Amino acid sequence: QAPIVIKFSHVVATDTPKGQAAARFKQLAEKATNGRVKVEVYPNSQLYKDKEELEALQLGAVQMLAPSLAKFGPLGVKEFEVFDLPYIFPTKQALYNVTEGPIGRSLLKKLEPKGITGLAYWDNGFKVMSANKPLNTPTDFRGLKMRIQSSKVLDAQMRALGANPQVLAFSEVYQALQTGVVDGTENPPSNMYTQKMHEVQKYGTLSNHGYLGYAVIVNKKFWDGLPADIRTALEGAMRETTTYEKAISQRDNDLALEAMKKSGRTQFTTLNAQQQAEWKKALLPVQKQMESRIGADLINAINKEGVK
Amino acid sequence: MNALVIFLLLLVLMLTGMPISISLGLTVLTFLFTMTQVPVESVALKLFTGIEKFEIMAIPFFILAGNFLTHGGVARRMINFATSCVGHWHGGLALAGVMACALFAAVSGSSPATVVAIGSIVLPAMVKQGYPRRFGAGVITTSGALGILIPPSIVMVMYSVTTNTSVGALFMAGVVPGLMLAFLLGLTTWVLAKKHNYPRLPKATWGERLVAFRKSAWGLLLIVVVMGGIYSGVFTPTEAAAMAAVYAFIIAVFVYKDLKLSRIGKVLLDSASMSAMLLYIITNAVLFSFLMTSENIPQQMAAWLTSQGLGQVAFLLVVNVLLLLAGNFMEPSSIVLIMAPILFPVAVALGIDPIHFGILIVVNMEVGMCHPPVGLNLYVASGITKMGISELTVAVMPWLLTMLGFLALVTYVPQISLWLPRLVYGTPG
Amino acid sequence: MKFLDHLEEWLIASLMGAATLIIFVAVVHRYLSGLPIPWLQDQLIRINASWAQELCIYMFVWMAKFGAAYGVRTGIHVGVDVVINRLSPRWRDKFIVFGLLAGAAFTGIVGALGASFVWEIGHTDQTSADMEVPMWLVYLAVPAGSWLMCFRFLQVMVTFVRTGSLPKHDHAHVEGLDEELGARA
Ligand code: NA
Ligand code: NA
Repeated sequence: QAPIVIKFSHVVATDTPKGQAAARFKQLAEKATNGRVKVEVYPNSQLYKDKEELEALQLGAVQMLAPSLAKFGPLGVKEFEVFDLPYIFPTKQALYNVTEGPIGRSLLKKLEPKGITGLAYWDNGFKVMSANKPLNTPTDFRGLKMRIQSSKVLDAQMRALGANPQVLAFSEVYQALQTGVVDGTENPPSNMYTQKMHEVQKYGTLSNHGYLGYAVIVNKKFWDGLPADIRTALEGAMRETTTYEKAISQRDNDLALEAMKKSGRTQFTTLNAQQQAEWKKALLPVQKQMESRIGADLINAINKEGVK
Repeated sequence: MNALVIFLLLLVLMLTGMPISISLGLTVLTFLFTMTQVPVESVALKLFTGIEKFEIMAIPFFILAGNFLTHGGVARRMINFATSCVGHWHGGLALAGVMACALFAAVSGSSPATVVAIGSIVLPAMVKQGYPRRFGAGVITTSGALGILIPPSIVMVMYSVTTNTSVGALFMAGVVPGLMLAFLLGLTTWVLAKKHNYPRLPKATWGERLVAFRKSAWGLLLIVVVMGGIYSGVFTPTEAAAMAAVYAFIIAVFVYKDLKLSRIGKVLLDSASMSAMLLYIITNAVLFSFLMTSENIPQQMAAWLTSQGLGQVAFLLVVNVLLLLAGNFMEPSSIVLIMAPILFPVAVALGIDPIHFGILIVVNMEVGMCHPPVGLNLYVASGITKMGISELTVAVMPWLLTMLGFLALVTYVPQISLWLPRLVYGTPG
Repeated sequence: MKFLDHLEEWLIASLMGAATLIIFVAVVHRYLSGLPIPWLQDQLIRINASWAQELCIYMFVWMAKFGAAYGVRTGIHVGVDVVINRLSPRWRDKFIVFGLLAGAAFTGIVGALGASFVWEIGHTDQTSADMEVPMWLVYLAVPAGSWLMCFRFLQVMVTFVRTGSLPKHDHAHVEGLDEELGARA
């Protein structure tokens, strides 16, 4: 009997946390199902690019993806933009309270009418702000051209800091930072390091102001059509993979930060209590500002998880 | 097996003379309908998203800029300047043609455009001066190829998009090889001209040179605007193409006044249709490489190539032969889009620098454009000179051989391409 | 028919021009807003230009789809005709008709696939990331452009069968140059 094929497509390199986790899932899933399932991983946008993979999943051209959470807004589920809000997760525990609790589950449920079943949340990490000047207080951002991904929330965030947000294609970012087309950007440490941005940014602030994450999703029709025992086995494999992914993304971010500090190209700072208060004062209004898009109830519910 | 079916189908369809883009697309459709599980709806998706990339937008912009320059008298003034500089040597006007091609290449991203811009003015003038038609056609057909080696370059944009290599670094890397090839082509011209004692122009005085320079300065300034703007951080390479188009428009209409406002619509239309043709090939080539990826063909071919245990030297030789063969029946954009995804991973695995590899591919494409059966430069030159393709093929021979020699040099001396980007960027790659 | 021709030409030419202008304005805006002139900077940063790239991409995609149709009418699509040019005229003509039919078939099928794709997207709330326009409207370029292209292929074929003439694009033609050379000579 021919095995059930799961095409798992993603847009990053195989040695990134997501890439490694995809490979681990392949291994675990094939073992857990005794080879009745075959997972084919297509890394590096080989099969589908960032902008088209969600449509491809809905068409059934691929079965599994792990897009960044920001991709679900344009799909029509604006609630996912909550993950982009500044200071929405004060700690990692607050994040996991959400992603592993009822809020995270109910968010994934909202994907089902789109023909998508959400399986898990994977981490990329908390973001570092970087530029060619020290970024200690919001006044330091005044007039800086900061590169962002297309996102209304991130746009509002940069504007709240007095910066000038610029949407730029990812492939142009390194050179744009180098030549000064843009002055700075925000990234989790591992992305900053693998994209060699530390070579062209003099200062980084470990502000933990924002979070970047992924959701692992499958085509709903495909998933519901699987034999129950296989689905259970795959869910088990996914749970194990998720634990693994969280561990290596943390490790990768730590290692990347270490390596960047060692290179001496970027000087990293943390914020003192007063500076942190100033950042929060500037950025927290963005949460209020986005209530009409994302929903006040959801924002409040997540903020409650933070103080538990 | 699937690979064989796909390539055979593509080859047969192409040889029937239908547009390359259609044969690529039909191959994909036929295969999807008959032999795989990939849902055909993904074709519609790919046809849209295949060109939904900001970097690809540099192509229409560069084409528009080139058209404004050609119609706006910039090319003519560049030729006058070049003539005042080198016209008094053996084969003066021909040498001026080479130099003008190099100058024009520095503002235009396309080779056929360079041949048109310079050739349509220089060639009639050469014939009038008593050069054999063959000689002029040979010089300009090959020198026009500099258009894609000296930055900016449409082919480099495509290579960078398919392989995620920095366009800025590639542009930098093209400068030295471009100047070197221009010199070698000039040298070939000079030697031939001296041997046959072709006419020389009276030597221009420094005053005349200055006047010619001043008149062409607005056009030459575009080189500064494009390269300077990119490296000083005013704009990205993609945006630079749009800036070049606007600048060329202003020069053509308001400074030189060679282009009447009433003709702008026609220039826009011509640029749009030329861009659309290229973008249509790109979409279908993206579709084709999508089919190959879902059939695991590039991966298998790359694995096979790697398992042959080829070293860098042998691999680069294989690459050159493959690309030169491809250059016989396809044009550069299709070749880059189809071959780069297969060859690039192997090159990287063998430790070949992506930038060096890109330049090597570009030089290969230059050669391919100058010889039959498919060679856009050759077609364009035949259009200008009204010479037959076989006659032209003989005409370009001396310069084509120079180019082949240069290709070998660029292939095995990576420093030629890598020296400048390393100097500018400080880091390898 | 003349009306359709003009509409097509007018559409792609203005898309080309407008997209160039938009990027030009966006670059100038970014450059000026980076200058440390406080009052100007504040004013400029307030203007949101983040939609410019997305709009430019969509305009060019539309230009490409309709320009490809225009290209069929004017014979700009390059093919490998060295082999068929060596055949006898009778066989050559047969291959040309075959090629045109193949073009019509491909673009017709793609148009249908695109239409069903647009139909499905039309029943979702998908929007573009920056401008937040409905995606079905954006993707409409695929079926509309493809079917127009299909029509053009059939049109060219009918003309060829009737009159034996094909639209031929001259890559080497420079408008106005002949007059100029004539004037100088
Ligand atoms: Na060029
Ligand atoms: Na050729």
